[in-house]
Amino acid sequence: MDICTDISYRSLNKYHEELCGDKVEIIKTADSDILILADGMGSGVKANILATLTSKILGTMLLNGATIDQCVETIVKTLPVCQVRQVAYSTFSILQIFRNGDAYLVEFDNPSCIFMREGKLEPISFNERLIEGKRVNECRFQVRRNDCFVLMSDGAIHAGVGQLLNFGWTWKHIAEYAVQNNSRGYTANRFANLLSKACDDLYMGHPGDDTTIAVARITEPKVVNLFTGPPENPEDDAVVINRFMEGHAKRIVCGGTSANIAARILEREIKTSFNYTDPKIPPTAVIQGIDLVTEGVITLSRTLQLLRRYAMGEGLDEEYFLELDKGNGGSMVARMIIEECTHLNMYVGKKINAAHQNPELPFDLSIRMNLVEQIRETAVKMGKYVSIAYY
Amino acid sequence: MVITICIGSSCHLKGSREVVKKLEELVAEYGLEGQVELNGSFCMEHCVEGVCVRADDRFFSLKPETTEEFFCKEILRRDV
Repeated sequence: MDICTDISYRSLNKYHEELCGDKVEIIKTADSDILILADGMGSGVKANILATLTSKILGTMLLNGATIDQCVETIVKTLPVCQVRQVAYSTFSILQIFRNGDAYLVEFDNPSCIFMREGKLEPISFNERLIEGKRVNECRFQVRRNDCFVLMSDGAIHAGVGQLLNFGWTWKHIAEYAVQNNSRGYTANRFANLLSKACDDLYMGHPGDDTTIAVARITEPKVVNLFTGPPENPEDDAVVINRFMEGHAKRIVCGGTSANIAARILEREIKTSFNYTDPKIPPTAVIQGIDLVTEGVITLSRTLQLLRRYAMGEGLDEEYFLELDKGNGGSMVARMIIEECTHLNMYVGKKINAAHQNPELPFDLSIRMNLVEQIRETAVKMGKYVSIAYY
Repeated sequence: MVITICIGSSCHLKGSREVVKKLEELVAEYGLEGQVELNGSFCMEHCVEGVCVRADDRFFSLKPETTEEFFCKEILRRDV
């Protein structure tokens, strides 16, 4: 089975703290994705250092083939000892998902992972083991498409404790809420955002503890092909369009001249519109068989802005997602890359458009290469596989 | 008759949205909805200093502020 993962997380800092005492590492290996969530004891700088050390040691060692026993041993022997409590301590969860569908889950003292399959909560049969005197739970199993996993720090299950709720949100209620909302088909990022927002609300905006929600979704590979820019050599027009049209993928054309090339090679008509859903972005057009046709550089600049905000995870409030759902070309390209894509293939023509080399225009249109490169970087940060072919 | 207005990147920056709006208003003002059709197009490869507009097979270069003049001179003067 060929599967992909969509992994993302969101952390809330304990109120008044500048640093988070939870730390998440997401690592891609040749044959798997690893998600690590560590929660350092205490809060602030000390917790942050403990969690960072723990997640980095786990990540680096697992990446180099170490066993979980070796990792735990190393952590126990390495973490600095807290002067107050005389212990070195950080809880952690590790979820490793292999491309062939095998999965490995390890937990040490974190709230247990929420595992959802086919709209229901799925029990996990853990094996308890003692490593270096620590009780570690582990489980090996097979994932399927559309499975969803939620890892969390204990700040989540304690949300609202002593304030809105006597005992906090509790694992059971988080799991129910997660199951209820899982059917909406949100991306991992949006789902983590939703769950952490609920925690923040229960804390009334003043989290009593560092709170982290990490989400891993199992998806099928989703390919998006994006063609932008006319090829340097017009003889390549047909070559690039043929490659662009190959295989099962969503297809986007960004650029007026590019759209004209696609229409000419495919012998199809372009239908443009005057529907300016956003006055700053030129309207989109329609070519039969292509999922989205937009203007080039202005649209892609907007797309890059939206992708960046998403990748940074800053200010991802309801307003952001409303913006993403809008009907202008920039939002539509961004939404496709964010929500409907695990593999992004870009076909980029390098020809310089003479009309774009105009210093009198209020916007620098000669930045296509630069934009493409930045979109690549941002999409990679978001965990997408990106390829670029230049023509 | 068909008037085609470029909505590509550089024409967009030069104000094609305003030109489109103006032309839509003028067509309505003179009650020519049944006779003049407005169309958008990506680059028509006649990029000059203004927004590229094609009326039948002739190309014009417009700015939002010269649109009315164009409309009166080139569209109204002809039998549409």
